[in-house]
Amino acid sequence: MVFDTRKEVDFVIIGSGASGGILAKELSTAGFDVVVLEQGPYRTAADFSHDEMKVMMQREMTSHPGWSDPQTFRHAASEKATVKSSGPPPALYARGVGGSSVHFTANYWRLHPVDFKERSLLGEISGTGFTDWPINYEELEPYYSKVDWEIGVSGAPGPFDPPRSRPYPVPPLPLKSSGALLEKGAKKLGLHPQAAPMAILSQPYNNRPSCMHCGFCMGFGCEANAKSSTLATMIPLAEATGRCEIRPLSTVFRIETNAAGRVTEVAYLDAQGAQQAQKAKAVIVAANGGETPRLLLMSESSKFPNGLANSSGLVGKYLMANAHSRINAFFDEQLNEYKSVQVTRIVHDFYDNDPARGFYGGGGIDARPFIQGSPMMFALDGLPPDAPRWGKAHKDLLRHNYTRRLSLLGSCTSLALESNNITLDPELKDAAGRPAMRITYSDHADDLAMAGFLQDRSVEIMEAAGANTIWREPVSKTDVLAHLLGTCRMGNDPTTSVVDPFHRSHDVPNLFVCDGSSLVTSGRGQPTMTIQALAFRAAEHITKFARGGEI
Amino acid sequence: MISQKSNRRNFLSETGKLAGGGWLALNTPMLLAAGHAAEAHRASEKGWANMTAQEAAAFAAVADQIIPPDDTPGASDAGVVYFIDNVLGGFMTGAGGMLRQGLADLDAASIEAVPGSSGFAALTFEQQTGLLQAIETTSFFNTMIFLTHCGMFSMPSWGGNRDRVGWHMLGFDNRHAWQPPFGYYDALADAGENS
Repeated sequence: MVFDTRKEVDFVIIGSGASGGILAKELSTAGFDVVVLEQGPYRTAADFSHDEMKVMMQREMTSHPGWSDPQTFRHAASEKATVKSSGPPPALYARGVGGSSVHFTANYWRLHPVDFKERSLLGEISGTGFTDWPINYEELEPYYSKVDWEIGVSGAPGPFDPPRSRPYPVPPLPLKSSGALLEKGAKKLGLHPQAAPMAILSQPYNNRPSCMHCGFCMGFGCEANAKSSTLATMIPLAEATGRCEIRPLSTVFRIETNAAGRVTEVAYLDAQGAQQAQKAKAVIVAANGGETPRLLLMSESSKFPNGLANSSGLVGKYLMANAHSRINAFFDEQLNEYKSVQVTRIVHDFYDNDPARGFYGGGGIDARPFIQGSPMMFALDGLPPDAPRWGKAHKDLLRHNYTRRLSLLGSCTSLALESNNITLDPELKDAAGRPAMRITYSDHADDLAMAGFLQDRSVEIMEAAGANTIWREPVSKTDVLAHLLGTCRMGNDPTTSVVDPFHRSHDVPNLFVCDGSSLVTSGRGQPTMTIQALAFRAAEHITKFARGGEI
Repeated sequence: MISQKSNRRNFLSETGKLAGGGWLALNTPMLLAAGHAAEAHRASEKGWANMTAQEAAAFAAVADQIIPPDDTPGASDAGVVYFIDNVLGGFMTGAGGMLRQGLADLDAASIEAVPGSSGFAALTFEQQTGLLQAIETTSFFNTMIFLTHCGMFSMPSWGGNRDRVGWHMLGFDNRHAWQPPFGYYDALADAGENS
């Protein structure tokens, strides 16, 4: 299906990732004409490879194809934001049809009931924007189950899980040695390890094959379509309706509004760099928690001088990344973590806040090879810091330990802070002439304390499991944000939130925002499941509004 | 053993600075083509595209110090110099001058240390080790560590890792499908011995 840009389609969706892919499928199957504008290329499973140079070094997935799209970063507003000279971009996400659901690890934790109302339960946390959601777990639960069944999630109920209305559609993925060791160590300490819920198929399901355990998963695209990206699941269904056009290599630079304050069209650069504009009755921004506020801020006008949908002044604010910790360990026998998915077991004993810890927070621990599962990345960064870096002793360590290494990752809460935000860089522009995304971010002290707590527990678990060598990665303020949450938060009050509980912007009746930016709190570290439950729920409400003439 | 990590991160940061901009600017189809051309070039044994024969010998000697040959092949046997030749014409072009200067400095230091020698590649293995220990923290040597590991363990299509000897050294096999059990500990757990 190809739509004329001058024809007013029912919906333009900006972004084809975790949420955009679902919205495209739901709205097109509901009978609406939909154009999806995606800045990245349209790769398919045949384009994915095990090439570490291309994917990990060249950053094929996360860099902008064809031009430089620099981001600037600083820890505080008092600093000048600069472009990092090396390493991953500060707002780390995949560009391409399917978005970051193509390259993600696919941990699919639901939020718990407590995540939606923790502010009421615990009280105010001074200096933060910690607040309750306008919806609760019970309201979102049917859509979590919808994600399980429509996207395809492998798993089994665990002792700390929230209530679920349906079982998992397919059982957990087979245990890996990292999972076995996490389980062994955790049980010795009286903890309750459980099978990891993963959006990767353990059995054939919905006309897709099961995982072949090739091992090139985190950071890579799935060559088998077993990883449940929206590229593999939702996009084909959307296109099959004949009412949805996926338009790749389309870089949106502005959402246009009319004198009545309604959205009329979306201006973008096409694959050749030519300026285009797609007319639409309504627009849904699903560009991720970094690019969504950037675009809204870029779309300022005399009617919306602070940026579109920004009467609250909160567009871009309350950025949350989830804090993390990592330890690494060697064992005597071979784990062979280069095989299969990243995560097969998790520990959720520390999910809830515990006042006895002395700080706010909660999180989970998982075991995985991390990016050092593949051979080149291991050789570059897989040994402890005191290991020789070259020579015979170095070679001996490499060849003995490649198959004997794992990491334990702690993932936890991020408190919402107004000082953590996405703004437009006042000086730097990208190759398209758009102001660069400027990220200002410092983890709250409680977030780092929680990450440190999880790291201490991780060390204990690996000691109990019999590791012969354990080393820690320092827990410190992050400058790489793989989760981009909270920057257009949902709420009932137009003065304290950007979108209403149905993802309609408070200021513009035919503008919706639905992605990681909608989250009010960060959860405990794995947000995609919630982003997608929100997308299914939003699609249902937007369909009702459109059919009822309420857009 | 519990320790904090620092040196290795600094090293990666240092080497990343040299290559980061180039990687971001690269065009994927061109890069793929270059990769396969590199493998074909190595197979054709036509000589070097981006270095002299003398530089190639010195690169090989440095790379063999980083991953030496023993009962398994070292870096030069693995074709790491072909990888370096390839990327010096690609994303590492910007580092070419620094690397060539580093080799020239090394040759000069070699002749000074062993009067009458013709350069670094002509020294004994032990003499070479000693000279490199003196320059361990330089950008030149850090970049050589980075390139040697990339060349030894990346896909053979990039020019190195000839016959997958780097992967064999680690115990890695690039298959597209595996079946459980994957390792010792999950096999043990499946046998019910992991409680």
